[in-house]
Amino acid sequence: MRIIGPVGSYRELGLQDHLCWVHGDRGDYRPHLGEFFRDGLGRGLRVAYLGSGDARMVRELVGRVAGTGPLRSGKAVRVISFEEFYGAEEPVDPAAVTKRYDAATQEALADGYRGLRIGADMTDLVRAPDRQDAFARCEVLLERYSSRHPLSAMCGYRRELGDAVAQFACLHAAVPAGLTPFQVFACGDGAVGLLGEFDQACQGAFERALRRIEPAPGDSTLIFDLSQIQFMDHHALLSLDSYAEACPVPVVVRSAPPLVRRAARVLGLEHLGHLRLGDL
Amino acid sequence: MRTGAARGQVGHFHEAGFYSSDAEFRALIVPFAEEGIAAGEPVIIGYDDRKNALIRSWLTDLSAVTFPADSGVYATPTRAIAAYRRLFELHVAQGAGQIRITGELPNSGNGGMFDGWDRYEAAVNTVWQDFPVWGLCLYDTATAAPVVRDVVERTHPRIVSPSGVRRASDRFQVVADFEALPPVPDPLEETSPMIELVDRSAAEARRALAQIGRGQVTDTILDDLLLGVSEAVSNALIHGRPPATVRIWAAPDRIVVSVHDQGRGPADPLAGLVPAAGNAATLGLGLWLIHQLDIDVALKHADDGFTVRLRGATTTG
Repeated sequence: MRIIGPVGSYRELGLQDHLCWVHGDRGDYRPHLGEFFRDGLGRGLRVAYLGSGDARMVRELVGRVAGTGPLRSGKAVRVISFEEFYGAEEPVDPAAVTKRYDAATQEALADGYRGLRIGADMTDLVRAPDRQDAFARCEVLLERYSSRHPLSAMCGYRRELGDAVAQFACLHAAVPAGLTPFQVFACGDGAVGLLGEFDQACQGAFERALRRIEPAPGDSTLIFDLSQIQFMDHHALLSLDSYAEACPVPVVVRSAPPLVRRAARVLGLEHLGHLRLGDL
Repeated sequence: MRTGAARGQVGHFHEAGFYSSDAEFRALIVPFAEEGIAAGEPVIIGYDDRKNALIRSWLTDLSAVTFPADSGVYATPTRAIAAYRRLFELHVAQGAGQIRITGELPNSGNGGMFDGWDRYEAAVNTVWQDFPVWGLCLYDTATAAPVVRDVVERTHPRIVSPSGVRRASDRFQVVADFEALPPVPDPLEETSPMIELVDRSAAEARRALAQIGRGQVTDTILDDLLLGVSEAVSNALIHGRPPATVRIWAAPDRIVVSVHDQGRGPADPLAGLVPAAGNAATLGLGLWLIHQLDIDVALKHADDGFTVRLRGATTTG
């Protein structure tokens, strides 16, 4: 079972968890990454550290955090450079990145592991504002991929990124509590799940997150699952409606809580809007 | 002979009449309806069940007469304006050149609450201007409170008597000048609130309200209060002047919430009664949503600022 929602503290993550981990610096991050990798090795996963810099230094780092000593030739632990997954081109191509994650996951399975677990500190990659959109789209696709394949990932973001942290955090199924009022996550059946509270205060952040969601190739509809919403005001509903209007495929919403249905009815969206209310 | 609105009248021809007996009521309503029926104009009639039955027995041909079956049309002023607009659009689309509508608004004389309907009576002079509507609002002098009579005279440009005499109301105020009735203070507001939040987020206000309100009122009413307080706090924080103060009171089966800021509040006299024109992200849409919920909403403009008061109860009111 994937962890969906805010998590109060680090705990064991499963085969398909996608966690955003926000930290002060690498010294703060490494112990958690070590636990994450040790737990993964114990579950029969291949673990991989995705990083930049000198390869030998990175290997030593992985050896230390994994508690396995400096690496020799073990295939259970890998080091992958950022360039290998994210390419050298600018901006990064989210679909191509996801294919590389998929290839690495399939390779782990072919080698007899139960799946792939990846840890990466994304901070330096997303520091430049003009790179953030493409990397956020990568997070959306990885979230979708991990909901259906044995890929678990802990994506580190340092607090020094400031407000930019929340825009990445909200695209993970599991986030530290208190970081973002809402999350956009992937349901196992391909639907996009919305979780938390959506009001005027996070209106800009929600609209930005929506812009990064695209229907999966070949899908004839895009389904939003609203069952995990605690609150949604008229700003957010209208944003969702605008998104539906612009979406190239019909947008269906399902499992809306009574409060959301109430607001939608009052706004007349069930008759006049661009949302198809699924099983309301 | 045709009386009142001329054929082809554009806009809302808004009249009021006072009656003190069924005979006077009949004298006012039968010519109004019969002339409409004879002219082939749709006639919409909305009174209580007893008066509707009387009217049915007095009229010769009911085929062109509509008695809105949904008594919820008068649930809130905002919903009534929207519901009637839809009905008018339908009739105009079917070719109506004149639509006649008559009814009696909720007031203490007929077992309802007049709070908020004063703004409705003022607003319909403007918000139905797009339609060829002749509205006749009849009030019972025996039961309508003096304050209701006062509002009727200030919101209807024309007054008609049971004898058929029509006069201009010299007390009429156009909507921009209309002085709305101050909300009647709720006794709970005189007591210490359960909680007072100053310059806190809408999310914090919702959490406090959910904690206090759960179990006091039904989940449906609590949801409406949550939607309402969220919109009101967002408006206060964005459009108001700090500090924004939320106060919540609770009594068995009842919750009262006030959201106050030191700004002047919306200048538009129609705020909350119709959707704001233009950008959906404006102040007006949130207020419009609040006014359609199943809670009592009052707007108070005062020297110390602007207050939105929301009241939800498990029973009516």
